[in-house]
Amino acid sequence: VTWSATLPMLLLATSLVPAVLIFILPEHRSVERLVLNLGGAVVKVVLASLLVLGVFAGQEYEWRTAFLPGVDFVLRVDAVPLLFVFLSALLWLTTTVYAIGYLRHDRNHARFFGFFSLCVTATVGIALAGNLVTFLLFYELLTITTYPLIVHRGTDAARAGGRAYLLYTVTGGAVLLVGIAWLHGVAGPVEFGDTAAMAALADRDPATARGIFALLIAGLGVKAALVPLHGWLPRAMVAPAPVSALLHAVAVVKAGVYGIVRVVYDLFGLPTADQLGVLVPLSIVAAVTIVYGSLRALVQDDLKRRLAYSTVSQLSYIVLGAAVVGFLSTTAGLVHLVHQGIMKVTLFYCAGNVQEALGVSRISQMSGVGRRMPLTMAAFTVAALGMVGIPPTVGFITKWYLGMGAMEASEHWVLAVLLTSSILNAAYFLPIVGRAWFRPPDPAWVDRPPRRGRFELNGWLFLPPLATGASVLVLGVLAGHPLSPLSWAAFIAEELFAP
Amino acid sequence: VTVLAWLLPVAVPLVAALVALGPWRIRGWLLSLSALPALVLGVAGPPTADVEFDWVAMGGRLALDGPSRLLLVGTAALWTAGGVFARRRPGPQGGFAPLFLLAMAGNVGLLLAADAVTFYALFSLMTIAGYGLVVHERSAAALRAGRVYIALAVAGEMAIFTGLVLAVSAAGTSELAALGPAIAGSDQRDLTIGLLLAGFGVKAGVVPLHLWLPLAHPAAPVPASAVLSGAMIKAGLVGWLRVLPVGEVALPGWSTFVIAAGLLTAFAGVAIGLTQRDAKVNLAYSSVSQMGIITVLVGTALGEPDAAPLAVAGAATYALHHGFAKASLFLGVGLIRTEADPRRHRLLLAGLSLAAVSLAGLPLTSGALAKYAMKDSIGLLPSGTAGLVTVALAFAAAGTTLLMGRLLLLVRRPVDDGPPAPEQAALLVPWAALLVAVAVAGWVVPGAVLDVSLPTWSAAVLWDGTWPVLVGATLLAAGTGLWRRWGVAVPAIPAGDLVVPVEAAGQAARTAWRRRVTPLAEVVAVRGRALRERAYLAVLPGGEVDRLDVRLTRWRVAGVLFVGLGAVLAVLLTG
Repeated sequence: VTWSATLPMLLLATSLVPAVLIFILPEHRSVERLVLNLGGAVVKVVLASLLVLGVFAGQEYEWRTAFLPGVDFVLRVDAVPLLFVFLSALLWLTTTVYAIGYLRHDRNHARFFGFFSLCVTATVGIALAGNLVTFLLFYELLTITTYPLIVHRGTDAARAGGRAYLLYTVTGGAVLLVGIAWLHGVAGPVEFGDTAAMAALADRDPATARGIFALLIAGLGVKAALVPLHGWLPRAMVAPAPVSALLHAVAVVKAGVYGIVRVVYDLFGLPTADQLGVLVPLSIVAAVTIVYGSLRALVQDDLKRRLAYSTVSQLSYIVLGAAVVGFLSTTAGLVHLVHQGIMKVTLFYCAGNVQEALGVSRISQMSGVGRRMPLTMAAFTVAALGMVGIPPTVGFITKWYLGMGAMEASEHWVLAVLLTSSILNAAYFLPIVGRAWFRPPDPAWVDRPPRRGRFELNGWLFLPPLATGASVLVLGVLAGHPLSPLSWAAFIAEELFAP
Repeated sequence: VTVLAWLLPVAVPLVAALVALGPWRIRGWLLSLSALPALVLGVAGPPTADVEFDWVAMGGRLALDGPSRLLLVGTAALWTAGGVFARRRPGPQGGFAPLFLLAMAGNVGLLLAADAVTFYALFSLMTIAGYGLVVHERSAAALRAGRVYIALAVAGEMAIFTGLVLAVSAAGTSELAALGPAIAGSDQRDLTIGLLLAGFGVKAGVVPLHLWLPLAHPAAPVPASAVLSGAMIKAGLVGWLRVLPVGEVALPGWSTFVIAAGLLTAFAGVAIGLTQRDAKVNLAYSSVSQMGIITVLVGTALGEPDAAPLAVAGAATYALHHGFAKASLFLGVGLIRTEADPRRHRLLLAGLSLAAVSLAGLPLTSGALAKYAMKDSIGLLPSGTAGLVTVALAFAAAGTTLLMGRLLLLVRRPVDDGPPAPEQAALLVPWAALLVAVAVAGWVVPGAVLDVSLPTWSAAVLWDGTWPVLVGATLLAAGTGLWRRWGVAVPAIPAGDLVVPVEAAGQAARTAWRRRVTPLAEVVAVRGRALRERAYLAVLPGGEVDRLDVRLTRWRVAGVLFVGLGAVLAVLLTG
């Protein structure tokens, strides 16, 4: 067993091992738990960085073992998976810090952090999966491990949200399973990256290929919250803030979108998918989702609900990027995997912090919050402006590339979708920002005494949004740097479009 | 060192904005000194040069040519003046200094930007920070002004974004210099031009996109109004001149449209401004009107490629002149409105009159020089149009005279019991310096930077500049006489004119929606729920079973949805 084969497994182990140990540890051993959580997260970031350097240098990493008859269990590190792994590793680290702060007065830490680590294990597994069966394995694992996190509070609302979540995702998983089974029936085991197999199938039997594509996308579309399969996402926002943050930025919804990206690029391949004519319906679904999500977000007064609908909308930028054929829109879609993650995670951290410090969860009560919590709201403002697409944030980079990609592919209607959605984004984000900074404090919280001490609230909660909020700006300004997500996405797109 | 000289004009205000958030008592210095690097670059920088930064966003480039140098000098001077005035003004609300400095960074930087992304980024920075300046007072009027401002600004930003995407993808590069030619030859030429005209038109205040201006100016603190009118609205002009295919092709249709819009703006600004009782609203409408005059030059440049260099030089000269004059008027009005001492009031009134006659274009003022600088390019239009435009502009000058006369009448008496303003006297010095700039700038600056000719003061030239002022003065006297004699007063148009019906319509629509649609939707939802429940009961009566059924049915809904979706997609795709 070589280093290059163990590295993918090690990457999984950095969260799987802590998960098991945390389950075993008694509830009161909080110091050990903290060390396990943070240690695992830091080691994962280090490993992911090593992998980045390796993949840049052309190294290949693969773990393969026999699984089902004729089907291998494959973990492979490539450029596309790595983008997702790196995002997960970094945001898992910040979210772990945040969760430690958020739940410090809570019980059931062992349960929470155990499943939390399992959830990340599943996400990394999804990222590295080298074929559909491996992907499905981790995809279902993710479904199950996220449920306890969503219902963590144990309230009626939490359980109802959790039920809706299970209802949707389990059904989605079943549809995905059917699609994968059908695919294996007609084409045998197909690995990601082996687009020739699907091209052959598409030549032989285009109807079947289209049917398989439709089933796979429908199955993945549940987690990716494509309209009309998005119903679970706004309900699942009853979860504690760190879970929502992870759910909306990296773990669950990203798994769905990432799956769609892999199906389009690494299973069918853009030329085949284009030739089958399945990308146009996909881009229409994405466009409808973008606009519909924004429209729904507009009328929500609950901050987390508004953010949830915003996620519905923003995720489909990635899908849209994948569905429009061209170098620039591919770059835009891939880079938005990262960009949407850091923006949305920041927004959820801030929403959680405002709730934690002032007990405010409604937008109508957020007047004047900026005066009380200036740095938290500064991070929120930067991320919100990013969502609207104001330069030099990362959100602008995405929208610019999507727009240019639409022009490159001569899909001018995409530009209109982009415009509509940006206006709607402004209409539902800017009022929050304006209210927080320029209105007098709301009576709902003004009587709460300000916290004494250096920070606006507990440092574990206070610092993560500042870090991610700063990165929204820094990664946007330095988008031209060779190590930026944009350069990484362009690197992938170049490989995809290389003749 | 060169790179530093290019970066400092933007970096210094940005860093100052951060420092201004701190607890240190140096805000006043930050406000008044941060625009100096830009002033230095404008005055002492190389005549034309550029510098590239490949590490920002998608690569950034800063450059400077004649017209933008002119604007840079004017803009930096105005921000300095505004900063000096802002330091003396104790504001009850915080946050003014950082936002002022951010807007400064954006405004200065966009003049230097030579690529579309950098330009758009700095333009947006200025726009967003500008919102904070407008709503600074937090009053109901300020918040309303802010709403109108941000709604139009966002619409403008989106139009600009789309226009730039179209232009850059046509050009294959984001260099601003390459965009004009690319648009000229693009398939989406008219769409691109329309989007960019409208997008930047919001900032420039062209009717009917001017709605935010007459609300924002009176709501904002005086120093903010000064830079808003003096410098920030010129960003719209800069956008037009940088990106539109000026001097590339003759676009007679667009040219006529833009000239007409400019003239409409010039006259509408005067007409509505005359009905105002608030001096700052009067000045805001005057800015609308003056931007209309500059817009005529943009239209000229679009129509006649040969006239473009002259038109651009003329527009920059006019923008410089208007910036100084309008800023000194705003700052002067701020002073005179709280001045109880008759002697100082007379002094202020005299200063205001100087700026006012300069704006009206009385010969030998910099206003006259600016108007003269416009003539050459307009002369290159087809002769019929040229004559018409010249006459119309002369009448616009008469209108400006009228409007300025009205302004002076509005502030002619010292206030009886204004709040004590101890800082008043100290501000007279910087204000006087600005007035000197109003008188001198037109004579010195454009000629030093651009190829603009100073007039030879022949009788004809003198008369051309004088008669509109005389007409305006006569009209003013007649109007005042009418009012004195018979009490015929102008009908009052509310500030923000068209905003009022738009707001009313919006309110009506909201009420109608709440009254009609919301109850209807509720009825539908309730009926639907009842129907569904009845359907369940018909199939499976009984408590426990019923509950189970509800759950099962939910399952079914999701399941049916999936199978149905899969089937539909499959059918669609195979068909």
